[in-house]
Amino acid sequence: MYSKTFKDHIANPRNAGELPDANAVSEEINPVCGDRLRLMLRIRHQQIEAAAFLAYGCPPTLVCGSMLTELLTGKTVDEAMLLTRSQLVAAVGGLPSRKQHAAALAIETLRSAIESGCSDLLKQGKE
Amino acid sequence: MLVLTDWLARAINRMAETRKVYLDHSATTPADPRVVEAMLPYLTEKFGNASSVHSFGQEARAAVDRARREVAALIGARANEIVFVSGGTEANNLALRGITDASQTRKNLSNGSSTKKGHVITTSIEHSSVRGISDELEKRGWDITRLPAYEEGIVRIEDVRAALRSDTVLISVMLANNEIGTLQPISEIGALVREERSQGRQLWFHCDAVQAAGRIPLDTEALGCDLLSLSAHKLYAPKGTGALFVRRGVRLVSQNVGGHQEREKRAGTEGVPGIVAFGMAAKLAREELAERSEHERQLRDRFEAGVTERIEDVVFNGDRARRLPNLSNISFRFIEGEGLLISLDLQGVAVSTGSACSSGTLEPSPVIQALGRNDELARGAIRFSFGKDNTAEEVDYVLEVLARVVEKLRQVSPLNKVSSMTKIAEGLHSR
Repeated sequence: MYSKTFKDHIANPRNAGELPDANAVSEEINPVCGDRLRLMLRIRHQQIEAAAFLAYGCPPTLVCGSMLTELLTGKTVDEAMLLTRSQLVAAVGGLPSRKQHAAALAIETLRSAIESGCSDLLKQGKE
Repeated sequence: MLVLTDWLARAINRMAETRKVYLDHSATTPADPRVVEAMLPYLTEKFGNASSVHSFGQEARAAVDRARREVAALIGARANEIVFVSGGTEANNLALRGITDASQTRKNLSNGSSTKKGHVITTSIEHSSVRGISDELEKRGWDITRLPAYEEGIVRIEDVRAALRSDTVLISVMLANNEIGTLQPISEIGALVREERSQGRQLWFHCDAVQAAGRIPLDTEALGCDLLSLSAHKLYAPKGTGALFVRRGVRLVSQNVGGHQEREKRAGTEGVPGIVAFGMAAKLAREELAERSEHERQLRDRFEAGVTERIEDVVFNGDRARRLPNLSNISFRFIEGEGLLISLDLQGVAVSTGSACSSGTLEPSPVIQALGRNDELARGAIRFSFGKDNTAEEVDYVLEVLARVVEKLRQVSPLNKVSSMTKIAEGLHSR
């Protein structure tokens, strides 16, 4: 049912936990199933230096969060904003159709994290 | 020497990785080798159709009759009160639909074509098959009362009495719940039904005993039920066979037509090998019942003591005294059941979340919700069900794996902090 990559991420989640010096943070909840994903990014000079996540929900939500942090680290903000749901699904080795919502939640959390981070950075004039 | 120790450590690790522990006996059980041995000849040389008149047919008929006696003996019934079907779901369908259809036919005969249906009492924690049939009956115009099970997961006899109406034709209450194992007050309900019937009422009592059979002693006379559902694959026999006990004198409308099998109650050629297997499994279950249930109880208690000792923030679901000896249902706070299930599976440990039929939906378990648990606890509920072949050493292995996996998943969960933040926010709102 799930890929080898998927199983590896569920057994060994990457970058799980708080990121104390994060400057772009978002937590989104899927209202239908109650799944929850918190994404924390540290952005410097338009580049994502570090990413961390916390997740509650079915295994695809955990794995999408974990994979997302791996995919994002080192990317520019613009590159990160171009990441799509299908790219994330492909990266975790595919998801059953009834679990696609996990990838959608992850992408939504990513975009809102970057948007919140960018507006905060602009306000502080550090951009 | 160092190389050898290293090699040994790696070999032990590999063994640990491939190790399998099955703790999902409420979903299904492996076929007992003695059951398989009894069944095999009926796939090959003894292949006759039990309805055939020739010697091949008679040989199959004799085997079906022997199996019928064994299944009857397991539940203290007469052989001619056993109807073989394809499993627990079909048994429940035949019971609920068969009785309500028969009641409708009687009404139509006495009142002409009546549009008024009647009333059925069931519970909020029934297996999905009974839930599904009740929902369907409701759509067809029947009134359905679904009794609450309260925090302990047990319905109350006074609620059954209060729900009774003059047009109630059927009460359907499971013996042991499939997710939490709680035992329902079947004998009390049976006594109530008999009392009502002695006053001339047409009221019948069905009991789904799929999870209870082979795990606790069953006696249809003491239980006082008129119909009782059984499934072979919960008793170390293959899937595909079940039985409905139909007390002598109870009339129900067959849901399969086009054949005279099973005393006109279930048309279709009998699945002889499966029935023979069921018979042998019932015989073994009866003979070994005390030993099996004591063994499973010891394993379950060892497991629960270990969980309490090693893992914090757990909630045991359902009454812990009045339940099956082989089952434990535990909610692990801050984590979701499916993540725990898959993580345990990667370590070779098989358990279940919700009931097996409903994992795959996004809905939390309706049974755990019926206990009044919140969504988080309902989603974090895991069923561990022990079997006759599990060992204490397996339990210790599962405890070790479980503690590790729960800890890991909790490190990933945002819920711990969020729930305390939510509490603060709720506190502010309430001011």
